[in-house]
Amino acid sequence: MNNSLLIVLIASGVAYGTPLLYAALGELLAERSGVLNLGVEGMMLVGAVMGFWTVQHVHANAGIALAAAVVVAGLVGAALSAIHAFLVITLRASQIVSGLALTIFAGAVGLSSYLGNDLNLSGAPATHTFSAVFPASMQRWPVIGPIVFGQNVLVYISWGCVVGIWLYLSRTRPGLNVRAVGESPAAADTMGINVTRYRYVHTLVGGAFAGVAGATITLAITPQWVDGITGGAGWIAIALVIFAFWRPELCLVGAYFFGALQALAPQLQARHISLGPTVLWTNALPYVMTIVVLVIVSSGTARSRLGAPAALGNPYAREER
Amino acid sequence: MKRSRSVLVLLVTAGALALVFTSVTFGGTSKKAASPYKVALILVGPHNDGGWSQAHYAGMQYVQKMLGSKVQFTMKENIAPGAQFNQTVASLSSQGYKMIFGTSYGMITKAVAAKYPNILFEQATGTDLSKNLAEYFGRAEDTVFLSGMAAGAASKTGKIGYVVAFPIPEVIRHANAFALGAQLTHPGATVSLVWTNSWFDPTKEKKAAQSLVGAGADVLGQNVDSPAAGQYAESAKVPWVGYDSDSSKFAPKSWLTAATYNWGPYMLKRVKAAMAGTWKSGFYYGSLNDGFTGIAKYGPGVSAATKAKIATYMKKIENGSFYEFTGPLYDQTGKLRVKAGVKMQVLTGGANSLYGMNWLVKGVIGSAKG
Amino acid sequence: MRITFERRLRQPRWLSVAVPVGSVVFAFFLAGLVLLATGHNPLSTYRQLFDAAFLQTGSLTQTLISATPLAFTGLAAAAAFRMKLFNIGAEGQLYMGAIFGAAAGLYLGGTGSSSPFVIAAMVVTGCVGGTLWALIPGVLKAFFKTNEILTSLLLNYVAALVLTYLIFQSQSYWRETKGFNASVFPVGKQLPPSAVWPSWTIHIQGGVTVPLGAVLAVLAAVVLWVLYARTRFGFEARVLGDSERAARYAGVRVRRKILAVMALSGAIAGLGGASQVGDFAHSIDGDPNGLQKLGYGYTGIVIAALARYNPFAVVVVAFLIGGLENAGNTLQGVDFPAGLVGVIQGIILFSALGGEVLIRHRVRIVRTKKRAAAAGAEPAS
Repeated sequence: MNNSLLIVLIASGVAYGTPLLYAALGELLAERSGVLNLGVEGMMLVGAVMGFWTVQHVHANAGIALAAAVVVAGLVGAALSAIHAFLVITLRASQIVSGLALTIFAGAVGLSSYLGNDLNLSGAPATHTFSAVFPASMQRWPVIGPIVFGQNVLVYISWGCVVGIWLYLSRTRPGLNVRAVGESPAAADTMGINVTRYRYVHTLVGGAFAGVAGATITLAITPQWVDGITGGAGWIAIALVIFAFWRPELCLVGAYFFGALQALAPQLQARHISLGPTVLWTNALPYVMTIVVLVIVSSGTARSRLGAPAALGNPYAREER
Repeated sequence: MKRSRSVLVLLVTAGALALVFTSVTFGGTSKKAASPYKVALILVGPHNDGGWSQAHYAGMQYVQKMLGSKVQFTMKENIAPGAQFNQTVASLSSQGYKMIFGTSYGMITKAVAAKYPNILFEQATGTDLSKNLAEYFGRAEDTVFLSGMAAGAASKTGKIGYVVAFPIPEVIRHANAFALGAQLTHPGATVSLVWTNSWFDPTKEKKAAQSLVGAGADVLGQNVDSPAAGQYAESAKVPWVGYDSDSSKFAPKSWLTAATYNWGPYMLKRVKAAMAGTWKSGFYYGSLNDGFTGIAKYGPGVSAATKAKIATYMKKIENGSFYEFTGPLYDQTGKLRVKAGVKMQVLTGGANSLYGMNWLVKGVIGSAKG
Repeated sequence: MRITFERRLRQPRWLSVAVPVGSVVFAFFLAGLVLLATGHNPLSTYRQLFDAAFLQTGSLTQTLISATPLAFTGLAAAAAFRMKLFNIGAEGQLYMGAIFGAAAGLYLGGTGSSSPFVIAAMVVTGCVGGTLWALIPGVLKAFFKTNEILTSLLLNYVAALVLTYLIFQSQSYWRETKGFNASVFPVGKQLPPSAVWPSWTIHIQGGVTVPLGAVLAVLAAVVLWVLYARTRFGFEARVLGDSERAARYAGVRVRRKILAVMALSGAIAGLGGASQVGDFAHSIDGDPNGLQKLGYGYTGIVIAALARYNPFAVVVVAFLIGGLENAGNTLQGVDFPAGLVGVIQGIILFSALGGEVLIRHRVRIVRTKKRAAAAGAEPAS
């Protein structure tokens, strides 16, 4: 039963959706404060390469090396997002162009490739990887075995993050403040909330999450380094945030849904379920579905009830209030 | 205000001029090395992919070592066939390169070779020939067959998974050879295929490996260029046969063996001929006998009996008394495709040639169309 | 003491040029620091870049080959971004233009029509292909208010899948099915000779080949400039970009404008795709590691931003960035840092973005004395 297509897809969805989840959570935080950061793909890649580098060079036991790698990946992601934050918050540049610049700068033909090459990171497996935490016997339990107990610690931490962010946004004072900043920075400013600081912090934390998302790929999923190993996951994460109506719990559902979709084609092939001429559709399905959901989400009523932070994408200038 | 503005303009212009000036004059002159023979190697993937491109790169390093300062090698990686390749050739030509090795199908076309009549082109895995264009490849199907033997022997259930790239004759004949080898050591073994539509994509290959094991395969093999399937095999404790080169460090316990390419000796021969002026175009199809193909060192999971059996068959292939693509060969539907005793040829025979093979042998599960 | 920004009332012309130029200089300086920090010699690296891009024999031809698609995608981005319509889909629109253009070339070229006719047909169908693909996000934005950034972006992935499917996963019209080679590896059909676009040679630097696409790109720039600077269409588009509310009051039909501008943007990108097939590749390149890895659409956005959406500037910047890309390809190897091209482009863009502040705002250093009003402070020089 654990081997049925559905269970396998859900379990794969969780595993492959985790980098999407981390990246989406980070982007969610930034966007809630009103900052759109399109540079997720770039930040993920640099987090991936530097996390990988750390685990290859920290000569300690697996636990410490991996923890250090995750921390480094997060710091690197935050550092990159700082560039974007400075440009769009302090200098009030276009958020879209800046995010794209970040992707080009750090992406598959940019900094991540530069570092991977200069630091000689290809051609060797990761010294340590994140593997399943629970014993094999528990992984064999029906249904929840592979789905819940067959995952690595980064997956479990991501669940903690979803809960934490949900609590933060809905139950804490700073969380409510950031929502105000994202909806109407002018009003928030009058209330004494430091708009600039909130935006900076949330953008940087968003970058850190993106870095960790990248490290998930090079430390857990495919523990090696090649240029562009994220394969566009950053863009899907950006779409995911909208797909999830800017809510962390829906990010989780969406991320796992996408992860499962991506695992679908090989699963069907291995089980000799012929795709035939539909191979194009199966591959295109995740993207088409996202577009459909985007249309639904953006239409009139949905938007007013569940929509984006109203000030998303606009720089805040106190002088022009 | 106006004064400070013009100062700013002056500073910017001065800065720009300074940059151009210094880099043009003080950046050093480009190397004017006339004596070493300039050869270029163009790879389709990264030079340390642990697979196909890495094997070619190793060949280049071998030639460099053997010829020392007489030859100047350069390597371009991640160059796709098509516009990018043509641009690379154009710039290599203007830099004085005299010989170019293209390592992926479709890189060097007759048109490209005709455009640069003074450069000697060597294309791996292709078929076009012209005055300055030669082709080279080899009987990897022999060594893939032998590696399939190791897979069959390591399998308990007889269900083997094989990760493949594109549904083209090269890959199809390798999949067939693998299956035939597995069926030799494990009669009745089946080989399930999952296509990734990419020569090198670790994530897709891992997903393919995962899906194959999930569907019941207890041994994995591949005809793709990254060791991702092997990493998964290691974590799933499933034996693994690699491809292109020795990637045992990615899966020390699961590693069985792999069909490997040894491009160096052929490249050396051709570079020497080019330098001596005796180079002629031709179609080279290497084999075990001239060291072009080989078997990687065995992992812990290969039994002594299997090693002996593989060694026996290797000798038989080398002295010509055995050829895995000798009839009777049946396709997936059970139809007899190659009559008993008939040996499949490399180029002649249409769909019954190695280069035209578009059907899968009995025991291979999956579509030959992708 | 605080630094504040005051919006300028007028944007001085000279700054519009000085800032991008200054950003490029600054970017090279910064990238030079990165090179130094990682053990490469910046001066010799830059010297190699200039050589490979512009000075070596044959380099200008190669630079034009890199620059032509970039000019198209840059113009496509400029056309849309000028109106704050963020069409990120030039990449996919280029692919679609290539597919449509190739179909026209293969079909009409095969029927023995005259070459100018076939090529004209390819130009038109290329534009149509790009337009149709761009109208999807256009319609979704105009009628359903769906964010065009994400829809156009996601469609890029779909277009890439279609491109690969046509050659690698099906026996489509575009795929070569005859001949021995075709069975060995999937390739696209070659264009018949009448469908190959012409080029002209200028006799400098040993002969520079100017493809038809480059000429068309310049023409497109002229058309775009006239459209935006001298016609009512352009005026309305610019008003709409500055303020949707003002545009509505002025009677601009917003929906129609969105559709029209997306169609225009897509057409230019699609023409770029047709040029790829007609000028350079002469067949459809469905290899996921081929055309799809080159990222012409995304680089075009960088170019448009750097050129501040002025069509003529786009052409110039496309030429320069084309040189950079060409040099990156040429120099790529064991001793040249991979990814440097992206790093430099990224820093240039960051600098340009940062510099943009100087164009739109005046920097003021305000000395806040304990109770003095800020208004009495000295302006920055």
